[in-house]
Amino acid sequence: MNAVPLALYAAALVAYVWHFAQRNVVVGRTATTLLVAATLAHTFVIGMLTMRAGQVPIAGATPAISTFVWLLALSYLYTEMTTDERAMGVFILPLLVALQTIPALRPSIDDRAAVLQGPLFGVHVSSLLFAYASFALACVIGITYVLLFKEIKAKHLGFFYARLPSLQVLDRMNQRAIVIGWVFLTIGLLVGAIWAAQMQVGYGAADPRVQKMSLQDPKIFVAVVCWFIYSFELFAARRIGWGGRRAAYLSAVGFAIVLLNFVPISYFFTSSHNF
Amino acid sequence: MHLLLVGVSHRTAPVELRERVDFQARGLQGALRALAERGSAHEAVVVSTCNRAELYVACEDTEPTRQDLVRFLSDYNDLPPSDVAPHVYDVADLDAARHLFRVAAGLDSLVVGEPQILGQVKEAHTVATEVRTAGPVLNRLFHASFAVGKRVRTETGLGSGAVSVSYAAVALARKIFGDLSGRNVVVIGAGEMGKLTAIHMKSQDVRHITIVSRTMAHAARTAEAIGGASAAPWTDLDAVLAASDIIITATGAANPILTKAHIEAVMRPRRNRPLFIIDIAMPRDVEAAAGEIEEVFLYNIDDLQATVRENLARRASEVSRAEHIVNEEVDKFGAWFRSRGAIPTVVALRERFEAIRRAELERLDFKLSTLPPEARARVDEITHLIIEKLLLTPTEQLKSLTDAETVSTYTEALTRLFALYEDERRKVEPFSRDRKGGGRQPR
Repeated sequence: MNAVPLALYAAALVAYVWHFAQRNVVVGRTATTLLVAATLAHTFVIGMLTMRAGQVPIAGATPAISTFVWLLALSYLYTEMTTDERAMGVFILPLLVALQTIPALRPSIDDRAAVLQGPLFGVHVSSLLFAYASFALACVIGITYVLLFKEIKAKHLGFFYARLPSLQVLDRMNQRAIVIGWVFLTIGLLVGAIWAAQMQVGYGAADPRVQKMSLQDPKIFVAVVCWFIYSFELFAARRIGWGGRRAAYLSAVGFAIVLLNFVPISYFFTSSHNF
Repeated sequence: MHLLLVGVSHRTAPVELRERVDFQARGLQGALRALAERGSAHEAVVVSTCNRAELYVACEDTEPTRQDLVRFLSDYNDLPPSDVAPHVYDVADLDAARHLFRVAAGLDSLVVGEPQILGQVKEAHTVATEVRTAGPVLNRLFHASFAVGKRVRTETGLGSGAVSVSYAAVALARKIFGDLSGRNVVVIGAGEMGKLTAIHMKSQDVRHITIVSRTMAHAARTAEAIGGASAAPWTDLDAVLAASDIIITATGAANPILTKAHIEAVMRPRRNRPLFIIDIAMPRDVEAAAGEIEEVFLYNIDDLQATVRENLARRASEVSRAEHIVNEEVDKFGAWFRSRGAIPTVVALRERFEAIRRAELERLDFKLSTLPPEARARVDEITHLIIEKLLLTPTEQLKSLTDAETVSTYTEALTRLFALYEDERRKVEPFSRDRKGGGRQPR
């Protein structure tokens, strides 16, 4: 079922690349339309899964990735519509297509473990997914910042110079995305910790996975590392002048770790989060 | 109805002549009225800029109108015809449309892609609308040309990239800082170059401009000349630099006045906020190594000129895409223009039907006179409706024809079948796409 949005995301990717190269207004509008269509189709898929299972499909790595892609597409569309900037799409769409391939190829498992019920778990996962979507945007904005910075610095005003907004705008967009992401990361981690503490003495005491929920688990450990990286980035940008290019590099490093945590660690290494 | 363009431009006439063939000087309105009084054209728009003077008209016969317009170019500007005539070009119908579209797109400009021309073409049309010399044909033509200008600007890179050094500097500053309204600018050197650049920056609504010079009196004088700028003594240079985002250096100093170490010291309290240094002095005022500092963008006059050259080259590479848009729009306009060839036939056909109706009603008048007035009105209404219904489809069919040959065949057939123009003995003259004005063609 996730294949339909995947196809539409792929079509949108082609249109965004074409638009980026040719800067044709009609192609640009087509790209946005395709992405809106993909997001709507994706909304429908998630809605169907929710109705079938009776809850939003966020438990387990595969449905969570699908929901993450959906959130990222929504966040990007919001950014595009508020800033009227389409240039970033060419960097976001490959990520959407790559990640959406996973749920499209793996059939999703609907039954949610009994421990994963209740509002706290929902807040935990959705906050983190939203935080990761913000960090993905920040990373892409950071990459474009560095590309534009290098062009201006090298006095070769070419491809990106003609297509990207100013450094100042990119920097501000990056900071905003990091702040939003950091707030949701903090909420997600705190709520997760509270939930785990409740479960370990209560309903989930018999589940070995719940008992392994501590900083020693790679997934939890890496998430906390991310929190420190992004906290440092926010602090550094405000106090020691690490804005602009350094903030851009930090956003890229931060999101690389997020992605590492999100895909390989979720599937192969964690012993507490493999629901 | 034909379209005709007669004019001189930078492509055909030297600047000495262009200066004298000027319709702006005494006002476009006067020129349009004078042109209308001559009676050789039904509609007229005059496009007059420093690089061109072009008369766009809609007329019945191209050749006499062409001769009259060439005369008008010299008469109106009090020039001997022999001076003007060799430099005049003229084109007709769709070639005239293509020419205007290329002008509006900036393809025919001295600096290809310059944006002002579209505004000037719009202005020319507005004035012609005010004095009512623009009619349905030229209105359609000019509106189409605005659409071409807009499409070329948004769909191609023809107008992108600064093509003068001062604009290149401002464009760079905008790419680094975004909005310049909160930015401080310092100009080092109180000479003419520094002053000009400062004035240019001021037009960008920067927050504050400070002039620093070795001689405080010079700085104060320059600051006053710019207006809204302040002067600072040389001893305050470091403090001023630390508070600035854009530094423009334009002194006559033989050696660099700002070294790498100097800029590094300035950057520390700035906490790595970007600094844009524009060195327009020759020899250079800023050590080249200063450009290695992170967050410092150093551009000298050669760098700016190089970006201007790159932009010009990029514009040249966009020309074919712009031409493609022009072709598309010429085709669109051509379809409409050719369909106008059928209009006289449509009118004649309607007149013929209406005349028959009236004649029949008159003939039957004695029979109808016995009817009450409402019934007579009803008869009039019904006969009218029948004619309307009968003519509806043929009218639509004729108006949708876009091919000159078909138009000609149809009008010929209709003229014979319905004996149109029998009373007036006027011949239908459908538009032919092959008809062109003679004379020189612009490149």
